[in-house]
Amino acid sequence: MEITPDTSNYMIAGFAVTFITMGIYIVSLYLRSRNLKQDIETLESMQNEKPKSTK
Amino acid sequence: MDKNKIQKDELIPRAKRSSLSSRPSLLKATFAIVQKDLAAEFRSFELVSAMLVFSLLVIIIFNFALELDIKVRQSVTAGVLWTTFAFAGTLGLNRSMSTEKDRGCMDGLLLAPVDRSAIYFGKAISNLAFMLIVETIVLPVYSVLYNVNLFRLDLIGIILLGSIGYVAVGTLLSAMSVQTRTREVLLPILLFPVAIPVLLAAVKASNGLLTGADFAEVLIPLNILIVYDVVFIAVAFMVFDFVVEE
Amino acid sequence: MQTKPIALKILDVVSIILLAISTYLALFFAPMELVMGQVQRVFYFHIGTAWVGLLGFVIAALTGIVYLITKDMKWDRFGVAAVEVSTVFFFLTIVLGSIWARPAWNTWWTWDPRLTTAAVTELIYVAYFMLRQGIDDPEKRARFGAVYTLLGGVSAPITFMVIRLFRTIHPVIVGAANANQEKMSMTGDMKIAFFFALFAFTIIFIDLIWHRVRLGGLEDKVEQLKLKVSM
Repeated sequence: MEITPDTSNYMIAGFAVTFITMGIYIVSLYLRSRNLKQDIETLESMQNEKPKSTK
Repeated sequence: MDKNKIQKDELIPRAKRSSLSSRPSLLKATFAIVQKDLAAEFRSFELVSAMLVFSLLVIIIFNFALELDIKVRQSVTAGVLWTTFAFAGTLGLNRSMSTEKDRGCMDGLLLAPVDRSAIYFGKAISNLAFMLIVETIVLPVYSVLYNVNLFRLDLIGIILLGSIGYVAVGTLLSAMSVQTRTREVLLPILLFPVAIPVLLAAVKASNGLLTGADFAEVLIPLNILIVYDVVFIAVAFMVFDFVVEE
Repeated sequence: MQTKPIALKILDVVSIILLAISTYLALFFAPMELVMGQVQRVFYFHIGTAWVGLLGFVIAALTGIVYLITKDMKWDRFGVAAVEVSTVFFFLTIVLGSIWARPAWNTWWTWDPRLTTAAVTELIYVAYFMLRQGIDDPEKRARFGAVYTLLGGVSAPITFMVIRLFRTIHPVIVGAANANQEKMSMTGDMKIAFFFALFAFTIIFIDLIWHRVRLGGLEDKVEQLKLKVSM
């Protein structure tokens, strides 16, 4: 059998890509849910103001 | 939409198979729609002429892009033809469905007391007719330009099967894409990944025929074409209701 | 909005632990593969992500059918979650496969049936999101999304079958590639790392889908509130 090639760099790249991508996805989930929660708060306060002014 | 429409929609029972007596039969309704489309098209030739000119332009571009000399020609003819048909097909599918939508014909069709699947089959058959018209003109032109004989019954059969599969999915997806904000842009993006099997199988089968391969080699892609056609006509038939419902 | 359920918190912690263990097994526990060297260690994650990517695709098609029958928005949220998480994992599968292929087959990419089907599937996922983005009405968006996942679910296996035919045309590249892959025999420790990765990624997948479904719930709530406020 020939000598095993040194492919450690590729391996490190592979694991790095995995963790970075998953990390980015989790951060995006977190950010989106935070923004949506803020939206809900704003919208709810708008809704509470509205009945007084219009009807 | 307006009240009238909603009421009429409710009058149409959800189970459509039991509707043979009171309403025109599926076959009659389908052909009424096909007749309408063809009549409209034969008055102006808007759609077919656009598809045709486009196809010829694509073939000319391919000629220079691929340097279609005699050696290359043999192996790429099938690919060039199917790429052309696919592009021209999306053009036609888009146009055919967006005229329905823009002129409000779709709402009219949906109001008509016919089976919804008649609308699907009607549109699919007229789209297929447009595609076949274009193909019957492109094939001889290609034959003349590149001195390849494409007039073979087996090849025409493959082209028919491939076009059926492509149009079956394309009609369904174009009914979806015209209802979105991005409309025309969206159809190829939706259609191509789903239509890859039918295009590849058609290319493979046509290529086998043109290079004179064993019949056994053509048989497998041919079977896949048939399977694809049957499966996707069935699926499209089942889900078309969900695509046009308001 | 309701607070995070306790089960989800537990699942989060379990997912992280499983990922850590799986990483350990892949990096240190499994023996080095002698033909390809260290890079073979990405194989465990490659298979793990591919498995959940496919699982998500099947789930999306099934939830699509259920949605069309029941018209219950929760199935749509479930379907979107499955597709979105699968998109991420499938992207990883393709990238990892590419990284692995480079030293092993000396090319970043071959038009092997598996690779090509993976790429086409990823494109179907992307088209799915573009379709949804173009529709304002949530009910219609869910309906069209369901129809499209169904079409994609039917088309992907046929794509795989067709591309496998093309192998007969290019026996050298793809045939060699496949032989290389099938020749890879796994020792006992490798099998442990392999099955553990499958298990770990399944749990992580469920965890992420759960989060995404909750996010979908928030999205729906915002849309409803916007409608109420604007009226």
